[in-house]
Amino acid sequence: MLGVAMHPPSAWIADKRLEEMVFDTARAALDNASVDRKELDHVTIAASDELDGRSISSMLLSAPAGAYLKDEIKVTDSGLVGFCLEVMRIESGRFHLGLVSSWNKSSKAPFEDVMRMRCEPFFTRDIGLNMSIADGFFAQAVSRSYRISPSDANAAVHASYQQARQNERGMRSEVPSLEAIASSPYVSVPLRKLQQAPITDGCVSMVACSGEWLRKHPDRRALARVSGLSWRIDDYQLGEKRLSSLRGFQETFRKALSMSGLRDVSQLDVVEIDSQTSFHNLACRRALDLPSTVQVSPSGGPFAQNPYFCTGLVHAAEAVLQVSNRAGAVQVKGAARAAAHGSHGFAQQGNAVAIFEGV
Amino acid sequence: MPKNRVAVIGVGETPFRAHVTDKTYVELSQDAAKAALEDAGLTPDDIDAIVFSMAPTQFMGVNDVEKWAVDSIWASGKPLMRVHTGGATGGSALHAGYAHVASGMHRTVLIVGADRVAETPDAQHILNLIWDPFYEQDFALNTVTMTALATQRYMHKYGTTEEQFARVVVRSRKNALQNPNAHLKGNITIDDVMKSPRMSWPYKLFDICPRSSGAAAVVLANEEVTKKHCSRPAFINGIGGLTSTVFMGDRVGPYTDAEFCDEAELTFAGAEAYAQAGITNPIKQIQVVELYDPFSSIQFPQLESLGFCERGRAQNLSDDGSFDMGAMLSVNPSGGTLCSNPIGVTGLVRVADAALQIMGKAGKNQLPGVQNALSTAIGGSVQFVNCTVLGADYV
Repeated sequence: MLGVAMHPPSAWIADKRLEEMVFDTARAALDNASVDRKELDHVTIAASDELDGRSISSMLLSAPAGAYLKDEIKVTDSGLVGFCLEVMRIESGRFHLGLVSSWNKSSKAPFEDVMRMRCEPFFTRDIGLNMSIADGFFAQAVSRSYRISPSDANAAVHASYQQARQNERGMRSEVPSLEAIASSPYVSVPLRKLQQAPITDGCVSMVACSGEWLRKHPDRRALARVSGLSWRIDDYQLGEKRLSSLRGFQETFRKALSMSGLRDVSQLDVVEIDSQTSFHNLACRRALDLPSTVQVSPSGGPFAQNPYFCTGLVHAAEAVLQVSNRAGAVQVKGAARAAAHGSHGFAQQGNAVAIFEGV
Repeated sequence: MPKNRVAVIGVGETPFRAHVTDKTYVELSQDAAKAALEDAGLTPDDIDAIVFSMAPTQFMGVNDVEKWAVDSIWASGKPLMRVHTGGATGGSALHAGYAHVASGMHRTVLIVGADRVAETPDAQHILNLIWDPFYEQDFALNTVTMTALATQRYMHKYGTTEEQFARVVVRSRKNALQNPNAHLKGNITIDDVMKSPRMSWPYKLFDICPRSSGAAAVVLANEEVTKKHCSRPAFINGIGGLTSTVFMGDRVGPYTDAEFCDEAELTFAGAEAYAQAGITNPIKQIQVVELYDPFSSIQFPQLESLGFCERGRAQNLSDDGSFDMGAMLSVNPSGGTLCSNPIGVTGLVRVADAALQIMGKAGKNQLPGVQNALSTAIGGSVQFVNCTVLGADYV
């Protein structure tokens, strides 16, 4: 990885068009990498038409994302899945220097309406399923399987906000009191409003290169190397087994660790987890059986910023900053290996993990 | 050079029709996936990863529709990603699948998708919403009027007549007669095309593709799996893609990087793919092309950009019959996009039909001695282009 950039997040970025957000972020990533756009041999985009509010949104956004006259492909699952394609394109040997960008301007789109339209038309759409309700089902299931009490969930979200407040790249939101969290309205039992990470606008870009390119450009210095990568999809149906077991999440981590040549998560220094609610946060920690030596979401995770579609790629950028000792106030001392997690689909139907090592 | 060789070892397509009333979207996807797996001699367990090919979901009405299809295409527990570059989607999905195998991260990849374009009462309304909301949506701009503008410019530049475009339709519908999956087919005349209702000058109804429903799938494999399961694979020897600006006005005039009406982006994408595939004389080395041609006017500029003839010459060669089946270059022996356009997989169908020619499985459309075949896909405001060179031998 040669460069990273994140657009300052906001609940509503009102002073820029989406094209301007994307351009500014892609430009910043290229500058961060000291790379001229002309040097790129490909671009990978990860974006959602539905959340962007347009059909084929990349028509207007590919050029701001640096793709003019470049070989560009768009992925629609999540920012971190787009990153997986970016790495494979380079690993294929056909490409050597690329820019991957992902964004989310949910302030433009009615988020839960977009999520509801994910439902197939025969069964789930009629019952009004959306993201909050799917997360409520998830919370019910993991409350049992991972023994998460309401007070555990309240304490976890309180801690997440406290951590997120340290991150100068995040929203730096006020930390809600435990009382406020506990008395916030239910959105889908047992999930309460303040236990959800608020959706924000945001954008992230990263510059990646092959080892061959780096050898030919000894004047450039990489920030990190990608040592492990995994992504996976699970059943569409929200059955008890999928919701309660977190098997997909565990397997995605296991494969990424294996690719990195790591025995288990204890060999990581940092894990950035895409926990859309405090129930996700606790269940994921417990599913990985993380030892205390591993710092979990030092960035604050989605409670620092949560541009939903690209939150996983934001985590990848935070992981790169950690292993390159550039994470600022949330830097974990001596961090050499960091994992970034992203999820997509209803209640973690899809998971992706990338592992970065310092160079 | 890719790190690993990649080949097409299985192909599956469903019939393309306006409506498929007896199957859901995910059942259609399953039909294509099953057919491709059977063609490859593999089971679902043999597949390492899946790439889902689907363009705007607004046509069929379920967001992130690949998530719904997961269980039907045996993807649960596996890596899956969806690719979407508008009309170019199927070609881009193929290129993404290529990266899966060429990188060495996967041995086998299933690329699958489906579309139901006619589920929406007005596809062109949705295709108006692809444009910039501040400046362009309020015009009567959609893919028909957009490409009609390019066609007018092409006619002005090269003196092409409506009858010459009509001949493309006649050839496509005739070729499609031998393709059991084609949506439109038949022995029609130039006069039939000329007398069909006017849509947007110079287009008449028959100059325009249908709105199709159907599915397609392709199985890619590395060298080891290919040797084990396929005696006559179609090797992917070259890939090229290019994204241009959305703005049509920026693609005309003397200072443009790629002329709009010439679809000149394909010149760059083709050059990249040819360099990889060792193609130095396309008209001599390539026997079959499966072009993404949703309009009758889209073939000529593609053939010229891809080096099969000089600019402005394709219309004459078409008139001479040089692009008929078995002639100098067999253009769209399947009938092409003019006869079937399930947008989310059309680019994949182009690859599949080109691969079938290499693999000797094109049925009644099979041409003898096909060593190299080329497919294209185009999307957005003719701004996303890609092409794939397939060969009987690995280069």
